Amino acid sequence: MRPLLQALYDTVRLTCLIAVDVHMSKKPKTYFENELDRIYREIPFRPEQYVQVRQSKAFMEEFYSDRVELNDLAKAAFMSRFHYVRIFQRMYGLTPRVYLRDLRISKAKGLIRKGLSITQVCFEIGYESVPTFSAVFKKCTGYTPRAYQQLHKSNLE
Amino acid sequence: MIRINLTSVPVEDQEKALDFYTRVLGFLKKRDVPLGEHKWLTVVSPEEQSGVELLLEPMAFEPARLYQQSLKEAGIPWTSFAVDDIEKEYQRLSSLGVKFSIAPREAGPVMIAVLDDTCGNYIQLMQEL
Repeated sequence: MRPLLQALYDTVRLTCLIAVDVHMSKKPKTYFENELDRIYREIPFRPEQYVQVRQSKAFMEEFYSDRVELNDLAKAAFMSRFHYVRIFQRMYGLTPRVYLRDLRISKAKGLIRKGLSITQVCFEIGYESVPTFSAVFKKCTGYTPRAYQQLHKSNLE
Repeated sequence: MIRINLTSVPVEDQEKALDFYTRVLGFLKKRDVPLGEHKWLTVVSPEEQSGVELLLEPMAFEPARLYQQSLKEAGIPWTSFAVDDIEKEYQRLSSLGVKFSIAPREAGPVMIAVLDDTCGNYIQLMQEL
């Protein structure tokens, strides 16, 4: 009986999903949706450019704890350095350098919350100097790493 | 040094909003300060409990109500929150009964979805791609 009940459940679920999809596509589009369609139709990026730049972001996600040069990122995006920086900035509103910095600080916050020491966090996220890391962390978050660590300990829910 | 540490969303009913923003969306209550007939009521992300607070602001000013209703009628979200996995959040929230006016879709370098917060607003979720 079980396979039959499973098949029946799957059919009902699929029918409901299709019904929702049909319903949503039959609804007249709101002002917001029309504006979204219009704006994103006019953006001058080819689909492959999105894919290429996302590859460089994936590279940053994987190698943020290592020394990452602009050349590495441009290579990962199959672009020249000039084009890569220009397109990244137009696409995401940030330079790759700032994006990587924010990514590293975000990882640092997670590691501090996990209980690693400040020194461990510093090297884990690709910085080579604790004072440099602390200064960047403070600039990005408003807290020194130690203050953030203390804050998190007292905030635990 | 002036800092940005607060944003707000206008709500018809603060208690209903607190329930939706905590039990459904997953934020944590941060401040709850009686202020006359209303409260200074804020929530925070569980991952950034000392970070930016979201004020669940009572809709107590009629001209603001007109603005809120106009945005809603046009399908425009009041604000946008970041998510790591928009499909996963869409499934989770849909299973909790949340209504979406826009299911996850690509919008250039991001994916967005728009939900009804049951308190007078559409809220956008955004995942950077």
